[in-house]
Amino acid sequence: MGTCTIVAGIMPNVTEGCVADAATGVRLATRSDESDLRELTSLAVQGDRTAIESLLGHLRPMVVRYCRTRLGRVAGHYHIADDVAQEVCIAVLSALPRYRDIGRPFASFVFGIASHKVADALRSSVRAAVPTPDLPDGPDEGPGPEETVVRYIEAQHARDLLSRLPDAQRELLILRVVSGLSAEETGNVLGMSPGAVRVAQHRALARLRQLAELESIA
Amino acid sequence: MTTRRRRRPARFLGAFDDADVESDVERTDMILEALARREPVASGADAAIRLLGALIADVDSQRLSSVSITPST
Repeated sequence: MGTCTIVAGIMPNVTEGCVADAATGVRLATRSDESDLRELTSLAVQGDRTAIESLLGHLRPMVVRYCRTRLGRVAGHYHIADDVAQEVCIAVLSALPRYRDIGRPFASFVFGIASHKVADALRSSVRAAVPTPDLPDGPDEGPGPEETVVRYIEAQHARDLLSRLPDAQRELLILRVVSGLSAEETGNVLGMSPGAVRVAQHRALARLRQLAELESIA
Repeated sequence: MTTRRRRRPARFLGAFDDADVESDVERTDMILEALARREPVASGADAAIRLLGALIADVDSQRLSSVSITPST
């Protein structure tokens, strides 16, 4: 997982680059380091600054992906979604001293906050002005305009289809696939067993496939 | 007149059908796990997998700006 800029000593800054750095290490915790994460959470709750940084460094990329998937782009940018993700991180940081380990993973606490923040953002019809990005100093090494447009359209199509799934199925697919949680972690967040997650995600994908096929016929 | 549905006895549950469903669930889990780990997945004709892949690529996009510079001619 990439190292991100630390603002005000603690808060990892939400930037697209940071998310991209984390693209190869999306998993929150494997079975082997799950206990380490619990210990990290315990230290963070006690106010250990290094632990707080590490914990947020683990969680933030997944929160950003979750917010980006739920909120999408505005005027071609993820500024709104990234702002909401930043708000989630701040809220988590503020709530940290009050957090009590009752056996559920810290991620379920974080995604609970994220879900509420996204709902607040969706309810709000106010769209802030989108800052204009600075011109890059060098050539853009990203995909070309055609590929970008195709990807953008397909991503938007995916969002549209996801929005037509029942809430529980949509949430499950976003957490499992886009945020990159394991079946166990997704189950912990949603209060389901890993087995139930596997069956539910199979049904959700079948439903998504069905919606995509219906649209292609229409 | 009411129709009563009789529960199928366990011995009549076809092993083939159960295994079939289980393998489908397992296959779906393998595909979604690969997507979650950002490993390449061959979507083939599966529109749902292709669209989820596009969404992931878009969300993980490295682009810092939508402005691209092309050499002037």
